[in-house]
Amino acid sequence: MEIPKQVGKYKNVEMTLVATIVEAVDLKKTYMLGKVPVNALRGANLKVESGDFLAILGPSGSGKSTLLNLIGALDKPTEGKMLIEGADVSTLNDNQLADLRRRIGFVFQFFNLIPRFTARENVELSMAIAALSKADRRRRTEDLLETVGLKERMNHKPAELSGGEQQRVAIARALANNPKFLLMDEPTGNIDSKTASEIIGLIKRLNEEEAVTIIMVTHDQRLAGQSERIVQMFDGLIIQEVMN
Amino acid sequence: MKAQDILSYSFSAIKLRKLRAGLTTLGVVIGIAAIVALLSITQGLQETITVQLQKGLATDTLIVSVGRGFGLGGEGGMGGANSGFKLLVTDTENISKLENVKTSIAIIQRVGSVRFDAGVRNTTIVGVDFAEYADIYSSTFVAESGDIPLNLVSEAVVVGKRVSDPWKNGTILCNVNDTAEIIWTNVTARPPTDKTYMGNVTAVLKEIGGFGVGGPSDSSVYIPISQAQSFFGTDECSMIIVKLKSGDEAVIDGASEAIRKLPQFNGEVSVMSATAVLNLLSSVFSIIQLFLAGIAAISLLVAGIGIMNIMIVSLMERTREIGILKALGMKSRTVLLVFLCESVIIGLIGAAVGIASGWVLANVVAIVFHGGGGGMFMGNQGAGTGGMTITPVLTPTVFLGALVFGVGVSVVFALYPAWRASKLKPVDALRYE
Repeated sequence: MEIPKQVGKYKNVEMTLVATIVEAVDLKKTYMLGKVPVNALRGANLKVESGDFLAILGPSGSGKSTLLNLIGALDKPTEGKMLIEGADVSTLNDNQLADLRRRIGFVFQFFNLIPRFTARENVELSMAIAALSKADRRRRTEDLLETVGLKERMNHKPAELSGGEQQRVAIARALANNPKFLLMDEPTGNIDSKTASEIIGLIKRLNEEEAVTIIMVTHDQRLAGQSERIVQMFDGLIIQEVMN
Repeated sequence: MKAQDILSYSFSAIKLRKLRAGLTTLGVVIGIAAIVALLSITQGLQETITVQLQKGLATDTLIVSVGRGFGLGGEGGMGGANSGFKLLVTDTENISKLENVKTSIAIIQRVGSVRFDAGVRNTTIVGVDFAEYADIYSSTFVAESGDIPLNLVSEAVVVGKRVSDPWKNGTILCNVNDTAEIIWTNVTARPPTDKTYMGNVTAVLKEIGGFGVGGPSDSSVYIPISQAQSFFGTDECSMIIVKLKSGDEAVIDGASEAIRKLPQFNGEVSVMSATAVLNLLSSVFSIIQLFLAGIAAISLLVAGIGIMNIMIVSLMERTREIGILKALGMKSRTVLLVFLCESVIIGLIGAAVGIASGWVLANVVAIVFHGGGGGMFMGNQGAGTGGMTITPVLTPTVFLGALVFGVGVSVVFALYPAWRASKLKPVDALRYE
């Protein structure tokens, strides 16, 4: 990710450096909830470019999480195209999807750390999956935990960490394999407001200083306020897009 | 993901549920231990019996008895002869004339008892030509005290070691020159009548320690064949022992065939060689081993189902974890390997501990089996068995087989849960509560 700093909100002007990394074209997704079909997405269009800081807002049931799952290659669309770095997710096989997910950093509302592993081991796990050498893992884990400000607590297990600390471990883990973008599902949804502002600061810093592309679903107005683009969803459609 | 990382990941999952993993492993341990213990005991038993038999059976001797089939001799003398065919003492004449036959002797034996001044003992009464019998079984039909008369001495009685010294505790029932009163009940007479034969102990045999199939036994008493004929009132013999000129397989086969084909026998006799007995024995033992191993394998099967059960429970508990792993980019194949690896670890530990404890168990059983009196032998379990030591044998085949089987069962029963884990869709797995 060789993206210079301060591409920020002027990136549309500095066209030469911009690359589209996520593109949703007329995306539709229908679930079966028991025997009832649910049209979670009804033709959403979205483009995310490198360096973006995008917030997806909308009431529950509007299709935010479904969209996020599709962007994260955790699921395949019923219709339409989900392109990640130009590759159509629908055409990828199981192994290719796994490889693709390694380049996406997931941050979940409920942290989803492995409880039996320490902070360090949790971060190392994603690099172990990517088959990095032990020495590289160790070094990078320490760097990452330092970045999120948790180096001194890296030998603690999730149960011994606060919500905010757990989320910082999760962010470090998401960053481990140099992802193309971070995908966050209500990253502050499960932590108190004081800690949340720390997390917001961290996310903001990652975007501005490390040029990490961020796509997140949130209800948190403060967090949304920090983003560059806000996408409003309603009833399976993207109804509005605002530049901050 | 590297193999080492998969292994340590699986190991961490097992460590998390120590009790559950321990109990699952215990199932494998019990199954493998049962297989190893049973197989090594039967293997040891087979070797012991083979060795014992080899003592009582010289390779260059054949045993002729009545019957078309293949059995362990007509001990009762009447066995198997539905057609009324009888093997006679005089049949030795024609057998001895055959090519490659050195000599042949008839044996008459009956179950009876012998009374000495010091006590009574149940025994097998064997009528035999002392000189020729001693010639054929030169290493076992040997006197410990007294002499075996080589010329006919009518009242001579030779007794086995266990008849003279049944309990090996210093209580001696008879010595050389004691009077022996041999009692046999003629059950074919109406009404059955007890017959008594008075003899004189001229020799006590030295201990043989084997089974007396055809050959001398520790628990028999021997009287001259001519005396036996008149005492039992018959010319019919229980078996004929044939001494060959060599122990070559060709000679054994040729002579066996020639005896079987003698016109006077009319195809009614069976001829048994030591080799054939040993072969028969080993095939009988193979069947026993297979049968026992089969029973033990059932317990391993149960252990396998236990593994499957545990893996499915574990799979459900860890659905979310699998979702996380997949979101982090773990391939389905790797998820499969992680789960299989867990059961391989359980199987390996179970098999290793199982083999060790099976081996210990086999040795404990062997010691309990014959070590009760502190001696090395089983003591006197009636006529026929002189004494036996069982040394359990763990062959490399059994060792490797148990290892492979233990791990194999674990893997086979983990396949389904592991496959299900690998097929979980990340979205569903992450949503699972």
